[in-house]
Amino acid sequence: MSAPAVVLRRLACTYAGALRPAVRDVDWELPSGALAVVMGATGAGKSTLARCLTRIVPCFLPGEVTGDIDLLGVPVRDRAVGELAGTIGMVFQDFEAQLFSTDVTQEVVFGLEHTSVPAAEMPERIARALAAVGLTGFEGRDPTTLSGGEKQRLAIAGLLALRPPIMIFDEPTTDLDPAGRAEVLQVLARLRAEGLTLVVIEHDTATAAAADVVLFLREGKVVARDAPGRLLGDVDACLAAGVRPPDVTRLFAALGLPDPPLGIEAAADRLRSAGLVPRPPAFHPPVPRARASLLEVRGLCHRYPDGRDALLDVSLSIGEGEFVALIGRNGSGKTTLAKHLNGLLAPTAGSVRLRGREVAFLPLEQLAQRVGYVFQDPDHQLFAATVSEEVAFGPRNLGLPRAEVDERVAEALAAVDLHERDADPFLLDKGARQRLAVASILALRPDVLVLDEPTTGLDHFEQQRMLELLTRLHAAGRTIVIVTHTPWVIAAHTRRVVLLAEGRLRYDGPLRPFFADEELLAAAAFRAPDVTRLGRALGCTPLTVEEFLAWISRRS
Amino acid sequence: MPLTLYVPAPTVLHRLHPVTKLGLLGAFVVAAFVVDRPLVLVPLGCAIAGLLALAHAGASVRRLRVMFVLVFVFTLVVWTWFFTGFFRPSYAGFLYGLSTAIRLDTFLAAGLLFLSITRVEEVAYALGRLGVPYAVGFTLTLAFRLVPAFFDAAANVVQAQRCRGLELASGNVVTRLRRYVPIIVPVLIGALRRADRMAMALELRGFNSGRPRTTYLRARAGRADAVAGALALMTMLAYLALWASGVGRLAGRP
Repeated sequence: MSAPAVVLRRLACTYAGALRPAVRDVDWELPSGALAVVMGATGAGKSTLARCLTRIVPCFLPGEVTGDIDLLGVPVRDRAVGELAGTIGMVFQDFEAQLFSTDVTQEVVFGLEHTSVPAAEMPERIARALAAVGLTGFEGRDPTTLSGGEKQRLAIAGLLALRPPIMIFDEPTTDLDPAGRAEVLQVLARLRAEGLTLVVIEHDTATAAAADVVLFLREGKVVARDAPGRLLGDVDACLAAGVRPPDVTRLFAALGLPDPPLGIEAAADRLRSAGLVPRPPAFHPPVPRARASLLEVRGLCHRYPDGRDALLDVSLSIGEGEFVALIGRNGSGKTTLAKHLNGLLAPTAGSVRLRGREVAFLPLEQLAQRVGYVFQDPDHQLFAATVSEEVAFGPRNLGLPRAEVDERVAEALAAVDLHERDADPFLLDKGARQRLAVASILALRPDVLVLDEPTTGLDHFEQQRMLELLTRLHAAGRTIVIVTHTPWVIAAHTRRVVLLAEGRLRYDGPLRPFFADEELLAAAAFRAPDVTRLGRALGCTPLTVEEFLAWISRRS
Repeated sequence: MPLTLYVPAPTVLHRLHPVTKLGLLGAFVVAAFVVDRPLVLVPLGCAIAGLLALAHAGASVRRLRVMFVLVFVFTLVVWTWFFTGFFRPSYAGFLYGLSTAIRLDTFLAAGLLFLSITRVEEVAYALGRLGVPYAVGFTLTLAFRLVPAFFDAAANVVQAQRCRGLELASGNVVTRLRRYVPIIVPVLIGALRRADRMAMALELRGFNSGRPRTTYLRARAGRADAVAGALALMTMLAYLALWASGVGRLAGRP
């Protein structure tokens, strides 16, 4: 019998300058060929664990690593990161940072050239690595012209060419759209079938369901380690580890049913045999119509300087107080459309009007006060030395008097529940930085808030917090438009879906018909939330677990 | 938008050995540098234009057309008016301006031709073959990856700060410079973070593995290289001869 792929004994890691260890007391053995999924809240030590295995700590990030790490029976103590290439590979969330070449083939060749692989062996290795990630035929393409999913797959191919028996994936799909995500998950399944040992760090429970073993980390310690069915079927264990429990698990717990299954079909069978089939009301209360039209988009077209059409004849109207989800694959034009709403981009043809006035002609300071735009990456805008300075930047640009600026800063920070006024924005964690970015826009008191993927990259707790914030703002009368890829965020919080495909409007309407239209969902590479899919298997279209439960209790 | 001007086309020019391509570039630059009579420069310019067409680089030429025209017009106007004195147009100045304008455009075209038929990796390889350390060639390759990402990030940051009412184009020089702080800080921090991650990704792929390097690109020089090299050499020698004999030079150059 071969040695286990990974053996950790009393592993602990403390970053230089940190007071507490990022990872401690980890004892773990992972057999060869297994798939392990590591889950936990931000800061639980998931990435640190991965970095210890690849020796990124302490080789790149200074820190103290104690305990033993054996890979394939060999201790890795004193090895450099580069020396382990070919033994262990690691894929990051940021796929752009993992590509260094101007050509797909050269990208795969890179590792081979640096690990003494003879040139005669290279063509076969390149072909196999590209085939494993489904990029055969992409040889010679410029990586900058690839989609996100293709880029991430290329980064994987670059590592696979070195034939490492162990691969680590640190949130490989977080920055991808649903289609890209599916592509990468498919690659993972193929690598597993080929016998590679895989360690995947993920927030999404769907990936974990297929694992051999799931680890929950909390404050640097492994708090639970078990088969996915056990851990993901336990609402309390999930919540304690900062993991969003699967819909089916929450539903079964609420109904008092034991052993929730991981598959939708199995769950539907169990409910059927228990006689718990939901009965939706004969008709759903109509979504309240918006009061007055606020933003009018008419025949909007946008053409990039290179001649590509990003938007083609898009028309829609957003009313006061609406909560709209703008969705579509990456490159479908949704961000381009969003950027027209506050004049960051000007239409090539057509118009965008805000209360009847052409947005493109409004002066900047007026626009900033009407339509706020929060970028996906908060780090694209944070620059000040303190949190309050950061929020004060916008109001100061408007030339407001000091007292008013102070008032707005206090108001905005209170709204996002951020109280460390003098903290350095760069030292806040990702969720707090995201909320700070929202506060810095709220201080301009815009009527409309446009947010580009406000929950991407956040853990469950932070996502909840961000969504509660948006729900509060919406309840207070703000019009909100979010660009998102996350089905349950749409189902639980928004009231209307706008779907773009290849620059055209594919769907614009309420949620329920959208999630009931399999063809539309498939075209958008979109998947309904688990609870909706379960409902569909039982003949109805619930949007949330709460709604599903209400429909069941209607029976009795 | 990709930064590279490389045109992926299977032409005879693309298949040349990287060192030959570098040689072609060198020969054309030297030839255009040593002569300054417009009439003598024109055939060289035409030859390069022909090669650009052969390389299917029409799209690249169109991409840079404004630059070609700007360089030409600006050079011609400036020399014509300032050759003999401040705002004193002269025929000699016009001639000299014309020659410089053609020469600069020729340089531009030669560079464009080189970049159209040569991958950045090939440049690194050619430099390596000529004895330049690997680190230099590799840094060059990496720059081509990083620079567009850097500009993308910068464009995003500018938009993000505009959303917060930042007006860049107003006020005096000092206030304008101050206005760039909210742009520069996020761009720099983002670039540093990315560079850090990139360094990790490089090592994970075996950079600094301690093992000797091998190379995939093993271009072999063929008959086409011999022909291209000979033609380039002859062109360069011919232009050097024109220069030495004085035929290629304008009279009255200061």
